[in-house]
Amino acid sequence: MAATLERSIGFVLALLVGGTTSFQLYKDWGSTGLDNQVTKLLLGLMAFGCILVVLAAVGVLGGG
Amino acid sequence: MAVSSLNSTHEAVHARYEAVDSLYRETRDLRLLGFVLFLISDVVLFTMFIFAYLYLRNSVPNWPPINKDGVQLPRFDVAFACVNSCILFGSGATMHFAMESWKHLKKAEFNLWMIATIVLGIMFLGGQAYEYSHVPITWAGSTLGGSFFTLTGLHGFHVFVGVIYLITLYIQANNGTYTGSKYFGLTAGTLYWHFVDVIWVALFYLFYLM
Repeated sequence: MAATLERSIGFVLALLVGGTTSFQLYKDWGSTGLDNQVTKLLLGLMAFGCILVVLAAVGVLGGG
Repeated sequence: MAVSSLNSTHEAVHARYEAVDSLYRETRDLRLLGFVLFLISDVVLFTMFIFAYLYLRNSVPNWPPINKDGVQLPRFDVAFACVNSCILFGSGATMHFAMESWKHLKKAEFNLWMIATIVLGIMFLGGQAYEYSHVPITWAGSTLGGSFFTLTGLHGFHVFVGVIYLITLYIQANNGTYTGSKYFGLTAGTLYWHFVDVIWVALFYLFYLM
């Protein structure tokens, strides 16, 4: 029961954070400069992390 | 240049960013390069430990392995890790908002997002401490325990240092250390915090999903 609740919370939070991060990445896509390029790379990887959390929350990854 | 009259657009942010003397611009670029190189060196550090973990993992027939007492070790709790990961990723998003708020001269918003980031960072550390106290393995009992505590401990230390760093930046920003044009410390702090988030992506996959 607790695990299901945690997975549900994780799923919702990951969608929220992943969506926000992806939108920020889209918004800043045209920005230039080393700091912005590194930030975009790191935001992209963070969005990827959110996808992993979503897949784990629904049981596709991490042994269900 | 009447920078203050420009509205809060990307052009205005860029104009403010460039509205510094040449010496500051040059040292800012060099410091930025140096900081990125520092982050790359930290990536190398984590990569070494990750490869050691993968080597140990592939040197036993089954994973999770059995410990020194012959007991089969369980998998880690994915559900709890999902929530804790989202807390850390969420802190990355709030840090990004804090940086954008500062660039757009919205100090009140900056303060709110910074506090949110610091609180989320502390929450992640609390979650990590909770997991450490409940996980059924020890540092010395198995290769899994040794790898897990070493890598997540190293990451946790980075998060702890990051929280101290963010608190320092928050105080500095409110004491007038940074301006709308000169805010390299905040840029470096943002990059560091994003880096800490991204390292967790790798650790989350390696220990909980793989």
